[in-house]
Amino acid sequence: MIKIEGVRKSFGALEVLKGIDLTVERGEVLCLIGGSGSGKSTLLMCINALEGIDAGRVEVDGIDVHAPQTEKNKLRQKMGIVFQQFNAFPHLTARDNVALAPRRVLGQNKVETLELAEHHLAHVGLGDKLDHFPSELSGGQQQRLAIARALAMKPDYMLLDEVTSALDPELVGEVLDTLRLLAEEGITMIAVTHEIPFAREVADRVAFFHQGVIHEVGPAKSLISNPQMERTQEFLGKIL
Amino acid sequence: MNNLTLTFTANDFMLMLQGAGITFVLTIVSGFFGSLIGFIIGWGRSLGLWWLYYLLGLFIEVVRSVPLIIQFVLFNSFLAIAGYPIDPFTSGIITLSIYIAAYVAEVVKAGIDAVPPTMVKAARGLGMSYFQCFRFVVVPIGTRSVLPSWTGLMLGLMKDTSLIAVLGASPPELLRSSQIIITRIQEPLAILIGAGAFYFIMCHFITVAVQRYETSWASKGKVTA
Amino acid sequence: MFDYRFQWRVVWKHWPELLEAALLTLQITVLSVVFGLMIGMVLSVWRKSDNKILYWFTATWVALARNTPALLQIYLAFFGLGALGIHFSPYTAVLAAITFNNAGYLAEILRGGMDSISPSQRGAALGLGMKPLQMYVYVIFPQVLKAVFLPITNQIVWAMLGTSLGMIIGLQELTGMTTFLQSQTFRPFEFYLAAAVIYLIVCETILIFARLVAWRAFRW
Repeated sequence: MIKIEGVRKSFGALEVLKGIDLTVERGEVLCLIGGSGSGKSTLLMCINALEGIDAGRVEVDGIDVHAPQTEKNKLRQKMGIVFQQFNAFPHLTARDNVALAPRRVLGQNKVETLELAEHHLAHVGLGDKLDHFPSELSGGQQQRLAIARALAMKPDYMLLDEVTSALDPELVGEVLDTLRLLAEEGITMIAVTHEIPFAREVADRVAFFHQGVIHEVGPAKSLISNPQMERTQEFLGKIL
Repeated sequence: MNNLTLTFTANDFMLMLQGAGITFVLTIVSGFFGSLIGFIIGWGRSLGLWWLYYLLGLFIEVVRSVPLIIQFVLFNSFLAIAGYPIDPFTSGIITLSIYIAAYVAEVVKAGIDAVPPTMVKAARGLGMSYFQCFRFVVVPIGTRSVLPSWTGLMLGLMKDTSLIAVLGASPPELLRSSQIIITRIQEPLAILIGAGAFYFIMCHFITVAVQRYETSWASKGKVTA
Repeated sequence: MFDYRFQWRVVWKHWPELLEAALLTLQITVLSVVFGLMIGMVLSVWRKSDNKILYWFTATWVALARNTPALLQIYLAFFGLGALGIHFSPYTAVLAAITFNNAGYLAEILRGGMDSISPSQRGAALGLGMKPLQMYVYVIFPQVLKAVFLPITNQIVWAMLGTSLGMIIGLQELTGMTTFLQSQTFRPFEFYLAAAVIYLIVCETILIFARLVAWRAFRW
């Protein structure tokens, strides 16, 4: 379970998170929606400690993420993250991209990790691209590679940061299909997204962000079809 | 003159100042001709004629693989045995120009390559001729992208002018004039630090000047390639 | 073209001396690059340091190395340091000066290489649970290596050409030996041309080797 309590975060004079409270249960799919600059992505980075926080508390399975004594790299092994910019490692083949962390971080043996990589790449539909370098893959393929790479660590949670925003429209579908697959498998996901129809279909709950606060949070279908707050109505009206 | 005094005098300072002036002149003159020749070579390599590309490439490779000192003496002794000896100062300027041209050529080619082909197509699509497109589109955009590298080359050139001393060229440039003073007053450390300061200031001056120029460009809008 | 008679036999006669001098040139080049790389790495790290003294030490080194002629640096090492009671042989002076110079340029090359790696690569590596050291070893350095490979190759070539300045303070590396031999035989053109060819061959060997390595190692 992920528990976020009163999290505040500023970049210089700009306060991007103004007291966020949120709880995510195991097996749940939560989508964060809202305009750009509303603080959604920053919150993701605060959950796995890629960004520090100024106040409040983030707890993952009972562990205080931002406590100084917390081993952040251990913690991050439980939480796969996928970014808007795919961030595949350009110097490694698809297979080595996926096998790197299990081998070096989890210390599994080489043959095992290569097989693991093949399995996960096949899972996201890249079984025929094992020896390709990222530069030889399309954006959609690179993003699926990044998802496979995160899954290979067998994370309990997946954090997805606008994973389709940098893709050409015709490539968005293949990545969303992969995410649907994960949701069906019951992986806990927190996804920042602009794909409202996707959120409505796949998410259990949706949280609407505006200027650093959560304005509304609730079951996906009812929140999107029938938003209660004026801001939410305005945002959804513009985007749908 | 003050050949008898063993301390640093005002005249010595003037000699070093004059040396710095000579260094500056050497840089400007050979930088000008070198850039001109380098521009032509770089342009020639962009024409798409494979034999010209490799021929000029060979020239660049040779110049960049042989120490400048050797190029100085080789060119000078070549002129001597060819029966056209000229004064070391002039032969030095010619060698420096050819030397820096090889480096400029590479920068020019990089500049031409930096212009997106679509932009050239767009210009030609507007009915511009090859030369109009080159003059009004390729050159301005390319120049902007390689100006920092070109500045780096000119700074390198200024430092390399100190090697003209091996030819015994006169009037002496900065490092040679410093050496003349050192021989007399035997204070190498102080004089060399002074000479270093002169070079440093001149480098700094050029760098700042180009940066100013760049910022004035940047304020007119950046090219997004 | 002119009534000059080339005499190549005399060059051939002194071939062993030229070869030996070329080896000395190579030796100084290799040492100055190895030492320069080691110092350059330290400098590039210090450059990012919060410690003001380390930062300014590095910035000064880099600025001095890049903004003054290499010949002046050699003069300083050979003549100038004598005032401080440090007396270098021509060999040591050239090695020290070229190393000083290399370190300054290489520090900037390495810094540029580090800066060229997108910060999000760090995020991706850390996000997979890597420790900072693992991130550097498996993700950052391999990419930096590609970015700095060509500039470092150019710096090696430059260092080799730079050792020719040793001639001016009487070091008998390739250029110095050539100068000595031509003064004995009065055949400057032949000797300098021979030296130029040797430099050219060594340079091309370095470049071809580097391209081969790059082609093997950086297929991505």
